[in-house]
Amino acid sequence: MATTTEQRSDSEDAEDGVIAQWTKGVIGDDEKRARLYRALFYVACGFFLVTTLFPFYWLLVLALTPNSQILTGDWSLPVIGIEFPHPQGFNPQAFVEVFQQIPFHLYVFNSFVLATVTTIIVLLVASLAGYVFGRLDFPGKGPLMLGVLMVSYFPPAAFLIPLFDAFLGNAIVVPFLGIELFEPPRLVNTPGSMIMPFSALFLPLAIFILTTFYAQIPDGLEDAARVEGTTRLGALFRVIMPLSAPGVATAAVLTFIAVYNEYFFSSIMALENVPENWSPLVGGILSYQDQYTTDFNLMAAASIVGVIPILILVIVAQERIVSGLTAGGLKE
Amino acid sequence: MARVSLSNVTKRYEDVVAVDEMNLDIKDGEFVCFVGPSGCGKSTTMETIAGLTKPSEGTIRIGETDVTKLPPKDRGVSMVFQNIALFPHMDVYENISFGLRLRKYDQDEIDRRVDNASEIVQLEGMLDREPNELSGGQQQRVAIARAIVRNPDVFLMDEPLANLDAKLRVHMRTELQRLHKQLDTTIIYVTHDQAEAMTMSDRIAVLNAGQLQQIDPPLVCYNEPANLFVAGFIGSPSMNFTDGELVDGGLTTEHYDIEFDTTELGISPGDEITAGVRPEDIYLTRNEDEVDSPSEVIEATTDVLEPMGDEIFVYLSLDGTSGSSMTSDEAAGASNQLLMSVDPDTEIDEDESVSIVLDRSKIHLFDTASGDALAHGIVDLSEAERTRAAAESRGQHE
Repeated sequence: MATTTEQRSDSEDAEDGVIAQWTKGVIGDDEKRARLYRALFYVACGFFLVTTLFPFYWLLVLALTPNSQILTGDWSLPVIGIEFPHPQGFNPQAFVEVFQQIPFHLYVFNSFVLATVTTIIVLLVASLAGYVFGRLDFPGKGPLMLGVLMVSYFPPAAFLIPLFDAFLGNAIVVPFLGIELFEPPRLVNTPGSMIMPFSALFLPLAIFILTTFYAQIPDGLEDAARVEGTTRLGALFRVIMPLSAPGVATAAVLTFIAVYNEYFFSSIMALENVPENWSPLVGGILSYQDQYTTDFNLMAAASIVGVIPILILVIVAQERIVSGLTAGGLKE
Repeated sequence: MARVSLSNVTKRYEDVVAVDEMNLDIKDGEFVCFVGPSGCGKSTTMETIAGLTKPSEGTIRIGETDVTKLPPKDRGVSMVFQNIALFPHMDVYENISFGLRLRKYDQDEIDRRVDNASEIVQLEGMLDREPNELSGGQQQRVAIARAIVRNPDVFLMDEPLANLDAKLRVHMRTELQRLHKQLDTTIIYVTHDQAEAMTMSDRIAVLNAGQLQQIDPPLVCYNEPANLFVAGFIGSPSMNFTDGELVDGGLTTEHYDIEFDTTELGISPGDEITAGVRPEDIYLTRNEDEVDSPSEVIEATTDVLEPMGDEIFVYLSLDGTSGSSMTSDEAAGASNQLLMSVDPDTEIDEDESVSIVLDRSKIHLFDTASGDALAHGIVDLSEAERTRAAAESRGQHE
């Protein structure tokens, strides 16, 4: 049987073209197939690496090139002649100048504090909500979860004007009736005016992630913890949360990065773009631009500096995610 | 150490009653097994004792304290779970000391107790391992160590051996008995395996459909089952049941009649009753001399033989048809079938006509409608008459 197949394929090989022969080889030959898969893997990896790392390369080029060269320079490559970003001159002083021109570190600090506080609030509240949604049964659970998720479908712009109005310290008035409910404190230019909307906006996603993770922890482990001496809350923080480390880390990283990059709310809640008003990182980067000049090299350098805290955080969190996964084995 | 008492404990879910007015009194230091088929409420009962589930009604006392409303951590109980439930993110030491650390014991005390507990369950030298590096039996021992380290008043064990392989299960069974002897703590043990219940417990609580059927020492449950359910559940293979009718001077069924004195039963002729007899209480007529009070001879045909090594299970057909594709339990329940166990050296063939007798002293009679036991062992009618005549003559003499 085998010999006849071989003979036939031999005779067919002669008639087939190159591509047909190669396709047959890949289908029939394990080694060729493995080679193809390896090649495809490298192509896909290369594509993703280029698309994610190229912007960084570009930033680095811009940061190191003196601003005058950026505006007037010739970006053609020396021999080939195609336009491609490459360093022209070497001006690492830009990274120092970033801090000399404006107190950029304060902007980074603002964003870092806003992101950290928001992340802590979101994790705490979403953990409680995730526990309730994931592990308890109560009437109206489905509709409530849907309602929570719907908040995340709202465009943030929809909340902006009423929130701004409220955070300015104006009284909250019932529409049409004109009844004053209460007068909120004036929160603009304080972290509160940013952390509150951020927390509300990023909570639904975190709740959703944590609900799915907490629901997977076997009931027996929670029961065991409660018999051993914890309350339900204690079981959540001592057993369920540590065992859901990957989910908690994912929710934390997503929230942190989103808030760290946020500019829409904070640009409005900080009435002037100065660090004293809790203007964030992006505000800092934009302050290298004024009405007449734009320091592209400083903006690029500032962007790179701004990425560093996130980089550290992701590396640390990744370690945790991996350790959470290996320590897991969530078998009952 | 403490006694545990449940009074009128009821647990209702939306449409089912999981536990129905349970009244139980478990003595200090007693080893009680809850047995019953799946869904009979035994685990729910245990969860209400542990505090993991709140009963809909009733009160639970541990020692002198009413714990009905207390959270699990304040009840002085510890529990071993069916799925073992070790915390996978903690090593063995951290698992065992979890409860102690929560209660803020000082470090020396924790170390001393953990060492002591790990010694009892023979886990020395494994304290720094992760749970997933341990075998099933070792994991179970860690779970037991975690339970004993706090010196609880009551141990709750929810099918702790169910996930272990057969050999290990038998081994752990003896270890648990040794542990009970050593600690002398009240143990409540849930299992669906009646062999576990029979071998380990001081008393067995048989549950069905959320109701307590009988709570008695194992041999009492075996020899004097309170009702049809207990009779069928305790013992493997299960008891043979034959539906019949009470007539004047005995019992008549489709395939055989047994004469006996019916006056003591408290029911009248014409009532439906079920006769139950265990496989080991059926004898071939040729071995009749082994029985003190043999019943009338019953003709039967052997159907299938199951040699077990130490005994042979013989499926007897009373009407000549074969009950093929029946399991031993089904066969025991079918009225035209009897399951008999005989000595392994008995010469018996399939499709052989045999005559059998039942041991009268081991025949159980149940009220078919209510299932309640009427009598355990019946007396020969002639013998009854003789004793009555003797009693009457004695009466005349006096």
